[in-house]
Amino acid sequence: MNKILFKLFTAAFLLTSLGTSASVWEGGNAENGEALFNANCASCHYTTAEVLAAPGLLGVKDRWKGVSDETLILWIQNPQAAAETGDKYVKSLVERYVPTYGWMTAQAVSAEEVKDIMAYVQVAATQVAGAGDATAGADCPTIGDDLEESGSASTTVWFLILLVLFIVVALAASGVRNSISNAIANDGDAEAGLTYTDRVKAWMGRNMAFVSIIGLVLVAYGATIGYQALMGVGVYEGYQPDQPIKFSHSIHVCENEVDCQYCHSSASKSKHAGIPSTNVCMNCHKGIKKGKQYGTEEIGKIYAAIGFDAATGTYIDGEGNNGHKAPQDDFDGDPIKWNKVHNLPDHVYFNHSQHVVVGGLECQNCHGDVQKYTVGRIAPVDEVAALVNDYPGLIPLSKPTLTMGWCIECHNKAEIDLASSDYYEEIHNRLKNDVRGNEELRKYMEDEEITVRELGGWECAKCHY
Amino acid sequence: MTRYTLSSLLLIMIVGLGSCVTDPNSPGLEYMPDMYRSPAVEAYVDYGEDPYYKTEEVAKSQRNTISARKPVEGTIAQVKSGDFNMPYAYPNTDEGYAAAGANLTSPLATNQENIEAGMEIYQIMCTHCHGEKGEGDGAISRNGLIKGIPSYTGKLKDLPVGNIYHTLQYGKGLMGSHASQMTQKERWQVIEYVKVLQNGGEMPEFDANGNVLTAAASSDEAAQDQPQ
Repeated sequence: MNKILFKLFTAAFLLTSLGTSASVWEGGNAENGEALFNANCASCHYTTAEVLAAPGLLGVKDRWKGVSDETLILWIQNPQAAAETGDKYVKSLVERYVPTYGWMTAQAVSAEEVKDIMAYVQVAATQVAGAGDATAGADCPTIGDDLEESGSASTTVWFLILLVLFIVVALAASGVRNSISNAIANDGDAEAGLTYTDRVKAWMGRNMAFVSIIGLVLVAYGATIGYQALMGVGVYEGYQPDQPIKFSHSIHVCENEVDCQYCHSSASKSKHAGIPSTNVCMNCHKGIKKGKQYGTEEIGKIYAAIGFDAATGTYIDGEGNNGHKAPQDDFDGDPIKWNKVHNLPDHVYFNHSQHVVVGGLECQNCHGDVQKYTVGRIAPVDEVAALVNDYPGLIPLSKPTLTMGWCIECHNKAEIDLASSDYYEEIHNRLKNDVRGNEELRKYMEDEEITVRELGGWECAKCHY
Repeated sequence: MTRYTLSSLLLIMIVGLGSCVTDPNSPGLEYMPDMYRSPAVEAYVDYGEDPYYKTEEVAKSQRNTISARKPVEGTIAQVKSGDFNMPYAYPNTDEGYAAAGANLTSPLATNQENIEAGMEIYQIMCTHCHGEKGEGDGAISRNGLIKGIPSYTGKLKDLPVGNIYHTLQYGKGLMGSHASQMTQKERWQVIEYVKVLQNGGEMPEFDANGNVLTAAASSDEAAQDQPQ
């Protein structure tokens, strides 16, 4: 009996001594702690002083100095219960942070695990927060980056061509002068009294073949240039205006796999695909404060527009007070002035939702490999047509992007999936039961396929009214 | 044919060539630019470039306004189905979160239509953070940009639908509000799919009407079948 009692006492003594001497700040396994931290804490806390969705944990050991380990562990396991213990420091935390960031979610971690986490927090305090993995996105080529350079390269080519032309013309002109002076020398003073113009005319009369060839070349050249210029009127291919933020579709879509319609969410609901409002940017950028290429500079422009204070992780209101959980309506920031890229004249009606939802098109069918672009760009039609094997259902077209020829070319080729809607079945039944309808049906099925054109896709009033 | 004619010809050629140089910042030559930048009300058009330019003051005020606006305060979006017209009743507080979790239930039936629609929305709206199967392993998480996204089969396994909806409405922690990107119906549909993910991600089996075949229902059928 005594033996058992003794054993019990020793066990109890050992337990209490363990609890007091080996504090929560010592002896934890940082490696284990990292995994635990990333799984449980990292969605709200940084290990640095920076605020994510809750205060950073830098210097947490010093801040919790006068508080017992039990209270700290309780605070993590059940914050509300910890607040009820009446501990002074916990009370101050609740008063200071809960109105802004809300109560911390109770975490199902054991006392041992808290030890590991705290070991990691102290080790990791020096790591840079929010920088992400620098090696990410190695497989994501960006074709927008070098566009500017290729633009200037083509300019150089044109200047070279110009130079050659200039030399040719100059040589021809000097040839004219030589011939004229030869003529003068040969004919003695026969033409001495004539003006320069008359002399040139006389020379041209004598060298008719040469002059007409030069003239023909010049006229043909002018006609070609003129024709090309006219064909380029209203053609936007390759238009890629600078944007107020050096946004990269490649980083967002290719590297981080954000769906096109996450930001352009109205593409399935409205006429416009929509330029995301800043609150949509903030759904990720509340946590991602440093960009891969430009650091905080470009992302800071979003914060300036919406009124977000990156240091405290809260929003600013109209009076300049921060500490708000959500964006404030009365904050008077300058909106981000994105430049519209795909612009149709006002006599054209185009609806995204009709094409995305009813037509079931992928964004790339018209816009090309946007996930390889930096900022928005009108993809030249050849570039889009080259993707025919990458996107099932993509119809390679030949007319320039965003012209009417392009639209109706696609409407002529695009087949309708008759199984996609009960509407077609209903219409089919109605046509079947009607004499004239039968004729119509036969016409549709002459080529064994039903295109958008056959169902009215070439009606003027479909797009113009 | 004078030297002047020749040089003016050259000039035309140079200008002609110059216009062929592509500047990514220029949209090119527009026929009737007022059709492209029309004064008619149109979203995302820069009215500062209005060809019917009045005064600098007007142009400036137009230039500095946002095309994408919030709905007028107090208005309610009208959608076809009457279930989704009401404004959200719970405030953006911890108490509101708890109350939504306790009281808010889905107005939608758990059936094939809603679950499949939810899956599509989930793949657009959620996967880049929460991951294909909801394990918190989306690309943003894998790239180390946002860490600690909880798993639907782990910490969020028993999260009530009311709490999920509340989070979509207002955001929680690092997650922002998704109310501007999803309609109320879409939010409930995506929750139907999240419920599937909470149960391990296996799509349930559906009967001919698209209703979920529960284990109890199928065993009932089996029981009915047996006597025959």
